[in-house]
Amino acid sequence: MAELSVGSYSFREAGPRRYVAPVDLERLREVVELLVREDSYLSMISAVDLPKEGAIELNYVFWSIKHRAAFIVKTRVSRERPVVPTIVDIVPGALGGELETYDLFGVVFEGNARLRRGFLVPEDLTSKGVYPMRKDAGV
Amino acid sequence: MFKMAVVEIPIGPQHPALHEPIMLRVKAEGEEVVEVSVNTGYNHRGVEKLMEKNSWIRGMYLAGRVCGICNAVHTQTYVQGVEKLMGVEPPPRANYIRTVVMELERIHSHMLISAVVAEIVGFDTLFMLIMRDRERVMYLKDLVTGSRVHADIHIVGGVKRDIDEIRRGKILDELKVIEERLKYYRRVFEEDYTLAKRLTEVGRIKKADALSHCVVGPTLRASGVGSDVRFDDPYAAYSEIPFNVVVRDEGDSWARMMVRLEEALVSVDIVRYALEHLPQGPAVPKAFPRAAKVGEVISRVEAPRGELIYHIVSTGGGNPYRVKIRTPSFLNVVNTEFTYLGHRLADVPVIFASYDPCISCTERVLVIDERRGLRRYLSLRELARWGAT
Repeated sequence: MAELSVGSYSFREAGPRRYVAPVDLERLREVVELLVREDSYLSMISAVDLPKEGAIELNYVFWSIKHRAAFIVKTRVSRERPVVPTIVDIVPGALGGELETYDLFGVVFEGNARLRRGFLVPEDLTSKGVYPMRKDAGV
Repeated sequence: MFKMAVVEIPIGPQHPALHEPIMLRVKAEGEEVVEVSVNTGYNHRGVEKLMEKNSWIRGMYLAGRVCGICNAVHTQTYVQGVEKLMGVEPPPRANYIRTVVMELERIHSHMLISAVVAEIVGFDTLFMLIMRDRERVMYLKDLVTGSRVHADIHIVGGVKRDIDEIRRGKILDELKVIEERLKYYRRVFEEDYTLAKRLTEVGRIKKADALSHCVVGPTLRASGVGSDVRFDDPYAAYSEIPFNVVVRDEGDSWARMMVRLEEALVSVDIVRYALEHLPQGPAVPKAFPRAAKVGEVISRVEAPRGELIYHIVSTGGGNPYRVKIRTPSFLNVVNTEFTYLGHRLADVPVIFASYDPCISCTERVLVIDERRGLRRYLSLRELARWGAT
């Protein structure tokens, strides 16, 4: 499988025009900063709840106009204490993605001042503290 | 110096100036907008959760119902992702038919927003005229798919209906009229004094801001970035069809409308090319698998409003484990709060409409029994029961 390097990170090819790299939470902001320099925008933040492993997987998908390829940064956070550093100050366009992921999965993006419940979820669920996209939410 | 008080004005979720259920919380100092925050959540239907609980095939119909205007592109994104997970390759003829339907959709979607923008700036006659001609495109979509709104023509491994010679000829004939009308509307948007006054220099996005705020589609291309999924990351039959990516540098509301009208004309050429070069062979699959392999896929499509992207995760079996849908309007609406600043209150609906916002709202079905003269609304639950039988 081919690899593509962005700074000191190598992304593994996962299909045509798709490159994936697992990244530790501590180094997430560093990778995002590197990717932004590659003429790319944040396409989406996709969270996957993995209750058996006690984790929530976060996929930051960037589309690079320079490389004409999607870069997928994979990171994991514990379900009990899901705290992730925000990237809104690096990519202002991450706002919607972070608000949505917080509202649906309960992942806290530390440093994002606009985080709030009720971005998408109605009040009958937010008042009970339910994060509906978690597998055990009972929704 | 005299300073005006700052007044907060909520526009929406139901407001005559907005055609979508969303709220713009606008702070204005006199007529000047000083702060905007977008309030969402009036229409969240939990489609992603529903997909997790339903089979792969039912998910196809759910995807088509995420949006009423651009339903075929949603099904395309879902189906092409599922096809990868199931290891199915659609035949070339099916890819061409899918492309035809998606491009017809782009034409009518761009016409719709042109009409809406005309109406918002107070040009009601233009709204009526464009909507009249848009109906011609809806008729063609009906001709190909059997429904003027919801196409539902995709199926894993192909399409549900083939195009015969008579239909092909009819579409090619009708395209001539549509092309003529689109050229006329492009001229109107280009030359009309009122439209120019209301749209130029309004809601400008610079190239660097467009990238950092992650806007997509015509909004991105009107700011000088030539990014189009059909060209950069081809799917369906786009790798075999020659076409241009429309880019403009102005970055204002007017440029966004011009990009759309130009693109609609490009779409006419794509439909024509696809129909004239329609490959022979089967298009409708006889059977398709019901279970997917373990894996995940990032599926991208250029919807009329921009890049539409699905993240589908499979752990094997009959249901998806997770489907994440990110629609283009999600980025274009939430991330563009800064573009309203410094403009007048009356410009807010114009800027908002220039992003072609789509907060989709279909949540039930009306059943009409013509013979007995009955009308009845069906809930999603009842519909799901029908799907199960």
